[in-house]
Amino acid sequence: MTIATERAAIAPKAAEQPWGIGLLRRIIDHRSDYLYILPALLVMLVVIAYPVYYTIELSFFKTPPNLQMKDKIFVGFDNYAAILSSSSFHRVTINTLIWTVFSTGFAFLLGLAAALALHREFAGRGVLRAVLLIPYVVSAVAASYVWKWLYHSDFGVIGALAVQFGLTDRPINFLDNTTTVLPSLIVVNVWKEFSFAMVMLMAGLQTVPEQLLRAAQVDGASAWQRFWHVTFPHLRGVSMVTVLLLMVANFNSFIIPWIMTSGGPAGASDIWITDIYNIAFGRQRYGVASAYAVILFIVMMVLGYFYVKALTRGDEARAG
Amino acid sequence: MSTATQSSLPTTRKPIDWWRWAGRFTILLLLIFTVLPMLWMVLTSIKSQFAALQYPPQWWPAEPTLNNYWRLINPADSIGREFLRYFWNSFYVSLITTILGVVVAVPAAYAFSRFRFPGRTFLFFTVLVRNMFPAVVFLMPLFLLMRWMGLVNTHGSLILTYLTFGLPLSIWLLKGFFDNIPIQLEQAARIDGATRFQAFLLIVMPLSTPGIIATSIFSFIGAWNEYVYAYTFLSKQESMTLPVGIQRFFTEFATDWPGLMAATFLMSVPVVVLFLVLQKYFVRALTEGAVKH
Repeated sequence: MTIATERAAIAPKAAEQPWGIGLLRRIIDHRSDYLYILPALLVMLVVIAYPVYYTIELSFFKTPPNLQMKDKIFVGFDNYAAILSSSSFHRVTINTLIWTVFSTGFAFLLGLAAALALHREFAGRGVLRAVLLIPYVVSAVAASYVWKWLYHSDFGVIGALAVQFGLTDRPINFLDNTTTVLPSLIVVNVWKEFSFAMVMLMAGLQTVPEQLLRAAQVDGASAWQRFWHVTFPHLRGVSMVTVLLLMVANFNSFIIPWIMTSGGPAGASDIWITDIYNIAFGRQRYGVASAYAVILFIVMMVLGYFYVKALTRGDEARAG
Repeated sequence: MSTATQSSLPTTRKPIDWWRWAGRFTILLLLIFTVLPMLWMVLTSIKSQFAALQYPPQWWPAEPTLNNYWRLINPADSIGREFLRYFWNSFYVSLITTILGVVVAVPAAYAFSRFRFPGRTFLFFTVLVRNMFPAVVFLMPLFLLMRWMGLVNTHGSLILTYLTFGLPLSIWLLKGFFDNIPIQLEQAARIDGATRFQAFLLIVMPLSTPGIIATSIFSFIGAWNEYVYAYTFLSKQESMTLPVGIQRFFTEFATDWPGLMAATFLMSVPVVVLFLVLQKYFVRALTEGAVKH
């Protein structure tokens, strides 16, 4: 914090003159600065900016399946209309919302519980944190295959355990059943990502001032009251960022449903990205898939707005 | 970050601290939830095909065997040759991605941290917002672009993609580290006659090694685990990386679950080891930004 203020004093902001000749002058004055970001800028233009532009363009065209894009036909907003009015889009959207809300909610709650339990210093705390983080580090592909085996309809260990404990009389077919498939996949997703929330919230907990907690205790606040009135308000910023990052990741999920069920059975675990992938690379309808991607892109931009706001709030408070 | 000052509240005088027990219980449950799937993967991988496909299952392998592993790492075996090939491809792509990523991200992050050029804030937000885009948005046009550049089925397509997609986070992280290096150090070096570049190389770089390690682990693990682009860009068997290649084992030997579990285990070893060794940096990279900025 002190370093930041010192730096601000040394490098004061150039006179604010956002547009016109002033801007041009400032750009010329700073021309050598841009050399540093040039390589990054170049690859990002090619690999990020161009594809975004091209996706938006393609979303207004009917594209031939052979990828000869010079043969594409302009169709205006037809692709958008086709998606928004299709019944499968509604079904997939509901799946995606269930997937995202439950994955995010459970990952956050488990992460919060783990963070609170691991906050206190005790022997083996570091080891525990490391073990809990392993699922987050391993590839989603590996995780999907392992869980597919755990859920196996005949030899899966989960079904066998359920029988062992007398919960059912024969193994359950988790992944081939339209009602159990989505919850089963959500469990895998939560397994994979809850420790991300844990790490974020553990870092957040370190920012809670010790004196405040002690003062509350002296004043007779119970453990719950201390959590609710002191700890939790301090975690608000981190919680918001964590929930947003989890939501974005979950809206963009692909690997777990794709490898474990390919969206099946009967589309019961189809979510936005698996649907787009099928439309683009299965049915070769790039125009429609592009329009679909643009719709998601708008949803993400809304989330992105809140993300940047949550991230920069601290900065503004410091500057102001 | 003060890791030393942990909760040191005066211990409550109540006979049983229910909260503490609730915490222990929570940790136990989460530990079981986390570890059981991994344990079952390992137990399955040391069973024979016959032993794995039994009902009720053999909870503990009656005749543990390492055959599944030997077959995968034996270059004389056709399966082993294929697996080692994927392993090498993954390693190569991840390593090059990581090195190039650092080379490109360091100067950019330095500029964002030190200079006040016009467009800086705008550029920076685009860097951040990139993380919001669904991967598929880029998939189709990138596929066409790679085809146009003749990079389909080459590792170049993956390296270029991973490198670029890792940049926003790398730049953001490194900027945080550069921000914490007092500018006076550089100024002192400049007064002593160093050029800007020398000051950067001799003062800033050594001090930001933790940041560079943190971003490197992140890009390596990200590249190692990436599936969607590899799945779309690579169709030739000899260029495939592990996440894609492993699928071939699954379809070719459809019921060989022990073999598949051994393959997923071997595939996880490098990233888990890397993570365990450099855990501190990894966690820092994960939380930096969200908490501090």
